[in-house]
Amino acid sequence: MVAVWHFDGASGVRQTGALVAEGDGFRLHLGDVVSDLYHWPDLVSRGTRGEAEVYGLKGHRGWQIGIEGYVEPDVARHLPTSEKFGRWVDRMGLVRAAVVGVVASAFAIVLVVRSPEIIAPLIPSSWERSLGDAMIGDFGGRFCNGAGGQEALNKLVNRIEPGSQDLKVHIANINMVNAVALPGNHIIIFRGLLQQAKSPDEVAGVIGHEIGHVRNRDVMQALLRQMGISIVLGGVGDAGGYASALVSMTYSREAESKADQHSIKAMQKGSVSPADTADFFARLAEAEGKLGDAEPLLAYVSSHPQSALRQKAFATSAIKGAPYTPAITPTEWRALIDSCKNDPNVKAGGFDFF
Amino acid sequence: MGIGGPDKTAVEFDGDWKNFIPIALTNSFLNIVTLGFYRFWATTRERKFFWSHTRVIDDQLEWTGTGLELFIGFIVALLLLGIPFVILNLVAQGAILQGAPIVAGILALMVYIFLLAIIGLAIFRGLRYRLSRTYWHGIHGGSDNPGFTYSLSYFWKTIVGIVTLGLLIPWASTSLWKERWQQMSFGPHTFVSNPRWQVVMKRFLLCFLLPIGIVVALVAIAAASAQGGDGGIAAGIAVGSFVLILYIALPLLALIYYAAYTREVVSSLSLSKLEFEFTARSLDWLLLFLGNLGLSILAFFVGLIAASIFGGLGTLGALATSGPEALQAGIIAPTAIVLMSIAFIIPFMLVGPFVRLRTWAFFIRHFEIGGEVNLDELTQSTTAELKQGEGLLDAFDMGAI
Repeated sequence: MVAVWHFDGASGVRQTGALVAEGDGFRLHLGDVVSDLYHWPDLVSRGTRGEAEVYGLKGHRGWQIGIEGYVEPDVARHLPTSEKFGRWVDRMGLVRAAVVGVVASAFAIVLVVRSPEIIAPLIPSSWERSLGDAMIGDFGGRFCNGAGGQEALNKLVNRIEPGSQDLKVHIANINMVNAVALPGNHIIIFRGLLQQAKSPDEVAGVIGHEIGHVRNRDVMQALLRQMGISIVLGGVGDAGGYASALVSMTYSREAESKADQHSIKAMQKGSVSPADTADFFARLAEAEGKLGDAEPLLAYVSSHPQSALRQKAFATSAIKGAPYTPAITPTEWRALIDSCKNDPNVKAGGFDFF
Repeated sequence: MGIGGPDKTAVEFDGDWKNFIPIALTNSFLNIVTLGFYRFWATTRERKFFWSHTRVIDDQLEWTGTGLELFIGFIVALLLLGIPFVILNLVAQGAILQGAPIVAGILALMVYIFLLAIIGLAIFRGLRYRLSRTYWHGIHGGSDNPGFTYSLSYFWKTIVGIVTLGLLIPWASTSLWKERWQQMSFGPHTFVSNPRWQVVMKRFLLCFLLPIGIVVALVAIAAASAQGGDGGIAAGIAVGSFVLILYIALPLLALIYYAAYTREVVSSLSLSKLEFEFTARSLDWLLLFLGNLGLSILAFFVGLIAASIFGGLGTLGALATSGPEALQAGIIAPTAIVLMSIAFIIPFMLVGPFVRLRTWAFFIRHFEIGGEVNLDELTQSTTAELKQGEGLLDAFDMGAI
């Protein structure tokens, strides 16, 4: 017999009495009233309160007994121990839980960081295509369709990537030196890049790089990574934020190097000389060089490999005496770079935040 | 049953920092090794400590929430917020790509509207969850209202508060307080709340107008002395005073208002024949915040000293193993660097728990209950049982009361 206080969970009146063990359970004797038989396994610890150890009953909210003072051994051995750190930690023990925690959290970090790589290949290409087409549409009427421009571009793409009907390569009427790969095999070359380019071979190298991103499914990865970040940041953004996030979708340096490798191989197969692309990177390296000593540091932080390194990769891939021919004819090249100028219907602007 | 007495207050918190240290230390430790995953269970342990050391009339409170339900609430909130954000992001980007930045702008605005609406929901449901897990005499509280009406009110009243340049904030916050507490109950009794915004308005106006007045005066002074040819110095004084106002006067004035607001809203709350009272004045609040600030500063110096000790030991270790050339090469054992970082972080991890301990003690110290409670009438709450914790509230990292 053990002295207890008791709340029955139905009213707030505190009762006092005794707990009497009986069979595989116990009854509460409260004044003249003797309770039903409760079973030991249904008893749960509700911690300490004041001087008392408090126990509840499974499935009865509010029902509780408090035991203060001496507990006879044949009752004590049935009483559940109180939870200390939470059930899963108590079960493992603090030290083991800590070790498991370190291993599991290290694993979780790796998993979260690599999840885009893991999930991207599992997304069907048809989904990505639908998503990409829905998002890009007609690009707000800013695709340039000057006479012969798109044909020249298609020919150039086919030179380095024969049978590439699944790629949707376009010129956009935006004055930025940039080219992007977007979801659903879309590749967009900005007008600014064409105006800066010195030769079709150079543009071929850049397009080859973007095709590399498409073929390696880097775009989906980057999109997934960006989605993850938007969840973490609470999705709060402004229009400019959405746009720049998409255009500056970042890839790992590994992915960039792989895309370069893809470009180099594609140009080799298509007998397009890599020399002009190497020149392009040499010019970029020179521009970066003006930034001074900070440059190697910048390259380390930013995702792109140093332009000087990329220049070297393209330059050394050139094979002496190989039968290189220009990617497209001078007439086609003219049509390509003037594609926007020759298109009276093309829209411009609206991309001010880029 | 009558309450309190000349020598015994009706509410009392008897937990002190010495009893709390083992909980704070092990919580911080487990939080570190699990990268924060443990925090749901850590919160639960803290609350069990706070509640069980708080006596109300003749018995302690009991916290019956679990870490698991907080965790589930967090996951639900993540999905509830995450999925719409992902879709919205894609649509907004599509709009940009198709040359419709205005559509994207509107979508971005909708995110803020959505967030504002959901914050009200989070506050309501957080309070409801906490009451449903709080037991006294085996009886708990709660609400049968899911909080959607409240979230709507929260939405438009907040907007009204903003568009009136803040002037209607006292009205908005007192009426929202009333709205949410009147939906809450404990046992069979529903809370009654009648805060008067007029009471806090005078102080609000003081806190609202004073900084404006000072800024206007400063601008006038600066302009006057600029005409006198001392433009540089005057501008310097003006900028300096402005920074002072921004970082010291404004928080101080906000605190002075908040003290009055809290006294009014708690004191206008009652439950059956129980009356509540909150007595903390501006100075008490100031001391609370200064103390909390002091804890952070203390943690910084303790961390710095501990880190230097490990750094020193690391250097000595490097000297012992590789000789003097180790110093020239600037080698410190990697383990020493790891230990230094941990030594620096741990004091900071302890600031949070102790700030919460102080704040809880502060609330209970200034909280008073009067009137009487009839235990025969105090029957069990019939409010719906909640399956999950305060996920949304947790996601926004807010207090519930």
